[in-house]
Amino acid sequence: MSRKQVKGEYIETDTGNKVARKAILIGTQHIMLGGKTVIQAEAMIRGDLARTAQPSSGAGGAAAPGSNTAVAIGRYCFLSRGCCLRPPGRIYKGSFTYLPLRLGDHVFVGEGSVVQAATVGSHVHIGQRVTVGEFAIIKDYVRILDGSVVAPNTVIPSFSVVAGQPARVIGEVPEGGHEAFELRELYKTVGNNPQPLPV
Amino acid sequence: MASFTPYTYIQCPCYETISRTRSSDGTQTPSSRDSFEEDERTFDPRAPRSNYCLYPLEYLLYCDVCHQIRCPRCVSEELVTIYCPNCLFEVGSSSLKTEGNRCTRSCFQCPICIGPLAVQSLESAPEPSLLSADNANSSAPAGPWILTCSYCNWNSAEIGVKFDKPQGIFAQLSKIRHGEDHSRSTIGETSPPARSDTVPDTTKARFAAMKSFYSAQNNNSTTGSGLSGIGDYGLSSPGALSRIMNIYSGNNTGGIKQKSKASMMREADTPNEGFRLSDLDDSAAISHLRHSGWEGTVTRDQAKLQVEEGARFADELWPIPYLLRTKRSKRCPVCRHIISKPESKVGNTRWRIRLVANNSIPSITIKPLQPSTPSTPGVAPLSGILRPLQPAQFILTFKNPLFDDVKVTLATPATTPGRFASRVTVLCPEFQIDANTDTDMYLDDVLKDGDKDRRRQRGDESSHQAEAGKIWERGRNWVSIVVEVIPASLRQDAQQQQQQKSKEGEGKGKGEGEEPVPDLGPLKEDEDILEIPMFVRLEWEGEASNDQVGTGAGKEKDAREKKELAYWCALGIGRISQE
Repeated sequence: MSRKQVKGEYIETDTGNKVARKAILIGTQHIMLGGKTVIQAEAMIRGDLARTAQPSSGAGGAAAPGSNTAVAIGRYCFLSRGCCLRPPGRIYKGSFTYLPLRLGDHVFVGEGSVVQAATVGSHVHIGQRVTVGEFAIIKDYVRILDGSVVAPNTVIPSFSVVAGQPARVIGEVPEGGHEAFELRELYKTVGNNPQPLPV
Repeated sequence: MASFTPYTYIQCPCYETISRTRSSDGTQTPSSRDSFEEDERTFDPRAPRSNYCLYPLEYLLYCDVCHQIRCPRCVSEELVTIYCPNCLFEVGSSSLKTEGNRCTRSCFQCPICIGPLAVQSLESAPEPSLLSADNANSSAPAGPWILTCSYCNWNSAEIGVKFDKPQGIFAQLSKIRHGEDHSRSTIGETSPPARSDTVPDTTKARFAAMKSFYSAQNNNSTTGSGLSGIGDYGLSSPGALSRIMNIYSGNNTGGIKQKSKASMMREADTPNEGFRLSDLDDSAAISHLRHSGWEGTVTRDQAKLQVEEGARFADELWPIPYLLRTKRSKRCPVCRHIISKPESKVGNTRWRIRLVANNSIPSITIKPLQPSTPSTPGVAPLSGILRPLQPAQFILTFKNPLFDDVKVTLATPATTPGRFASRVTVLCPEFQIDANTDTDMYLDDVLKDGDKDRRRQRGDESSHQAEAGKIWERGRNWVSIVVEVIPASLRQDAQQQQQQKSKEGEGKGKGEGEEPVPDLGPLKEDEDILEIPMFVRLEWEGEASNDQVGTGAGKEKDAREKKELAYWCALGIGRISQE
């Protein structure tokens, strides 16, 4: 349908990804989208910061296409306007290299947030203007409140509510709050023919 | 003014048991109206005690057996798993008893900023290899090792702590800290500031020394008397008790015969017995304070987070081992059934049992009704700001999570409790919500129908007006109704109140008249929020609960029974503007 109609704001792929035309994707060959992911305008994904080729170890394995993924994103993720996903980098065996950044499913990244985590689990809500430091590990069902700064190398266990600079655990996600992390409905509200949120 | 998001808090029934027992001792909250009959008593969300029973819906659990709401305060919790939040390793309850409630692996928090600390080689400090304690090839850095914070750049060399090897940091640190092995001074001594030999050992080390000293004393003294053959220490042993009695009752009391035992006992008087002269000479601390200034002192938060208290200067702060965290299951306080139980594995985020109130009672969402009628132009409540004495309408949407139709009955007091009584009218206090037919096969059809309905209704919206006794909108498993509020004026002066009284009529006048002295104090925190107490009563026909095996067997399986649930909730509608 996309061919015949006028150009919408979003490019909708076969796997259901909705990528804004104004999104800034760099190094797209290193970016993996799981499907049904929304990338809003001015969101930036630094796929160019891929792992530098390792001469010794992964000669056989690394040759396969797609193995050198810089940013891997699961299903039903939502990258808001102006956020940035940036793989973390460090010295490894004497030389500087970037390491992949992995997002699980149902990850919401708020406006203007910068994520440099090593791993973000599933059902994670990252608020607005949040900075997630390098090599942070965020487990499932975590809510990071607006304006937090997650220190580098931090591990945030599941069901944590996190806030502050540097971020600390300030509460637990209640048992009844798990459904609020689902992004299926939000996914439907954006795109070229957005639908209103159900009541 | 800060923006305001409407909220719904639901009252847990545990409130009632407390308030009933409380009212017997005659203490009454000033604004509560206990003159009502027990059944007619309304609920004041602003009463001080209400803080402890109002919860957002997500926080509430629902006991299937009692058919009642349970809140985090009234459930009883049981530990399922204890783990370190940093390395996510499970800690057994037995090692918890011996090792304490902190992680004994290499997980530490920065004492300055509580960021996580990483082990780093001191050699390659300018080019740190974070987390790289794993590869030991030729280029791998060798010790000494330090803990560094990558958030605030603090490192343990600042307090003169260095490690021989990058593993087992906790053990090394406790060795350094609690004596025995002063490896801190052996490795690359960088003269730690304010850490001379006169500074005594930590409280923990002193306690251990003192304990061993007195238990040895006690053993000596009590072997002959035979009062306690067990080599006990501390105050629990009768020997120690009688000794202390002697000290405090004075030596020359005739009642207690002093034996030669007392002379055998002596107090600790050397440092290695745990004795420490109280350092009354603060000149060192004062000069340190002069030298390092305000920056060199600890903040209250930093001091509080320390494992051992007493730190006054920043160089007395030690890395904080991570406090362990738990996974807990929850039991109903009444019937003791488990209503929430997580999987025991640390990494597993599933739940074995999760009876949340979400699935049993309707959710209530509030949004302002945008006025479509031009007759009331001033109503528009932008970003939750309500204009005093101007009627405003709000849509309450009730969404039914049950698989049965639910009949809802609402009740609110005519005026909100508190000093500023706003008038509240629920236009449709009785309605039925259709069942939540949550079968995905039909979901799309139903949704389409719903959309059609909605569109049709939206088309009518120009003539669509809030009518008393009629619901505003209806969907598959939700119903929205209209509530009209007339916010009170927040003006303080009595004259204004008089005007209001005469203007608003008797209903309000009565409410004011009951109060002996009208409180004319300044506006308290959040007193400008218009909060409506609302009583919600649900009735539905659900599957008969077959708890009793005997009765359930006789009847047919799909027996239906009437169920009922009623609770108070508090709806935060918006802030009243202070003009």
